[in-house]
Amino acid sequence: MMMPPDNAVILTQELKKDYELGAETVHALRGIDMQINKNEFVAIMGPSGSGKSTLLNLIGCLDTPTSGQYWLGGQEVSQLDDNELARIRNRQIGFVFQTFNLLPRTTALHNVELPLIYAGVPARERHERATEALDAVGLADRVTHHPSELSGGERQRVAMARALVNQPSLLLADEPTGNLDSATSEEIMEILVRLHERGETILLVTHERHIAAYSNRLITLKDGRIETDEHHTIGVPIA
Amino acid sequence: MNVFDAMILALRQVWAQKLKSFFTLLGVIVGVMFLISVIAVVEGMNRYVEEDFASSIFGINTITIERVRSRRGGREDARTRRQRSRNPWVKTADAEVLREKVPDIWYMAYNVDRFMPEVRSGENKRKNVRLIGVTDQYLALQGWDVVEGRGLTRIDETRAIRVAVIGDAIAKKLYPDNSPLGQDIRLGPFRYRVVGVLERQGGLIGNIRDASVVIPWGAYQADFSRRRDVVDQIQIRFRTSEAMVAGQGATEEILRARHRLRPGEENDFSIETASEVLDAWNAVKNVLLAAGPGLVAVALVVGGIVIMNIMLMSVLERTREIGVRKALGARRIDITRQFLAESATLSSVGAGLGMAIGIVLAKLVDVATPLPASVPVWSIVLGVTLGMFVGLVFGVYPAIRASRLDPIVALRYE
Repeated sequence: MMMPPDNAVILTQELKKDYELGAETVHALRGIDMQINKNEFVAIMGPSGSGKSTLLNLIGCLDTPTSGQYWLGGQEVSQLDDNELARIRNRQIGFVFQTFNLLPRTTALHNVELPLIYAGVPARERHERATEALDAVGLADRVTHHPSELSGGERQRVAMARALVNQPSLLLADEPTGNLDSATSEEIMEILVRLHERGETILLVTHERHIAAYSNRLITLKDGRIETDEHHTIGVPIA
Repeated sequence: MNVFDAMILALRQVWAQKLKSFFTLLGVIVGVMFLISVIAVVEGMNRYVEEDFASSIFGINTITIERVRSRRGGREDARTRRQRSRNPWVKTADAEVLREKVPDIWYMAYNVDRFMPEVRSGENKRKNVRLIGVTDQYLALQGWDVVEGRGLTRIDETRAIRVAVIGDAIAKKLYPDNSPLGQDIRLGPFRYRVVGVLERQGGLIGNIRDASVVIPWGAYQADFSRRRDVVDQIQIRFRTSEAMVAGQGATEEILRARHRLRPGEENDFSIETASEVLDAWNAVKNVLLAAGPGLVAVALVVGGIVIMNIMLMSVLERTREIGVRKALGARRIDITRQFLAESATLSSVGAGLGMAIGIVLAKLVDVATPLPASVPVWSIVLGVTLGMFVGLVFGVYPAIRASRLDPIVALRYE
């Protein structure tokens, strides 16, 4: 059995996922081998049906593969049970969603505190760390606001603070700008770039080339396989 | 999500939708309300029957022996009436033999009474008074407490001293400004000295006690007796109901022998116990206690099902929230706990409301009707616990449904 190299945040080997759809079996992923190292900023693109959502679910530990191996931060996670996966999601992964997915009836602060609650962090420390995280995304003055009182960009920044508050080893952003206008999108992407410069490892799923251009590596999927995998310079438009 | 957060969330939801919450919780409210008010009335009646009523009229484990006499306006035919008028009187001698021979007597007293149109003290008078001549254990046997002064003693009885213990109504009427103790009371032509005042009775069965003057047996015999040595009632109390049953048998045997009744002849005296009254109450109580839990259970189950539905709705509405929580690291148990805490909080609010309404109802019954009601603490504990329990039990299914949601599906839920 192989062991992942030390600097690999993600390592997958022959990762496959099948779905039973009635009598038919859909091969969503047909064998993904990929390695993403610490402090990479990777964009994943691909047409719908190419398997990028499935791959994101597997990498986000929301689902388990039909076969193949997946190491996250050096730990083999493809065979873990529900509770262990929940723990991995809590400690290792920060999610940023297209639709923000903030809890509507609570404050920005409470939203950011959520991962810490499930990590069992005591209330006082929780409060401090969540406040810091909001400060880091420039929302120190929005702590007590409810999501409905925030703009789209502010909501996504709350979501990013929430994703980072538990210091995960991987930030998973699923179409983070999909619900935002272009000015706000730029703002969000600049935050991601800054986070990358700070040392975060980021995996970004998008279908927009100019968004993917913020990354330094682009993986394209087609029919459940990796089609291309190229490194490029950040900010250079992708053909 | 800790339990406290879930409770706050539940309370906030109840408050945000007050009317909807009220209907959601109606079943639990009615259940707990019914539980508390029924228990309050049963408890109140129980205490009343067993402590006040039974002991003031008959007493627990007490038998009362009287001559069977024809009653004015009674329904017996002329023959029985003639026969009954020939029945021998119960005499002090009978009583003394019983005192000696009946086993396991705890208290024993006999009395004779008459109606007095009026008693007076100086200018003050009180009409319609019951004058009772008693032996020394009479007050204790009746459970009549002396709140001022003293009761009657063996010495009062044997020496025929003219002393009296008077009821509350008489004390208030005759001595409105000062203590009755040591004052004179005029009973017909005789002057008695007041040595004690009885506790006020008030309440359901009027005020027999409050309008009574109790004097020693000897004094009554000397001053008021129309037929010497005739006893109106003998009362004997036993420590246990078994002893009472045995004592009742012995009494019957002794009196039949003394009255020379042949086998097959009817008793010319009656022996009554409090059990008839207690039996009647017990029958009512049993109906209440049998039907009560059923009704409470139906209300609580209906309430629980409504809560379960509301929780299922809530789980559905918050599918996305559950997905987010799971993505952020909530385990199944965290989600289960959150929804259980919510449904338990919800039903506890219902139980609390039911409890409040139940207590108010019990107080209303107590104040507005002659039925006494008292809310025991244990019924409150039981009611609230049951209410919370309903929330927990009927919250299990929705909570498990929530915890089993697939995070991927839940996150995509619109």
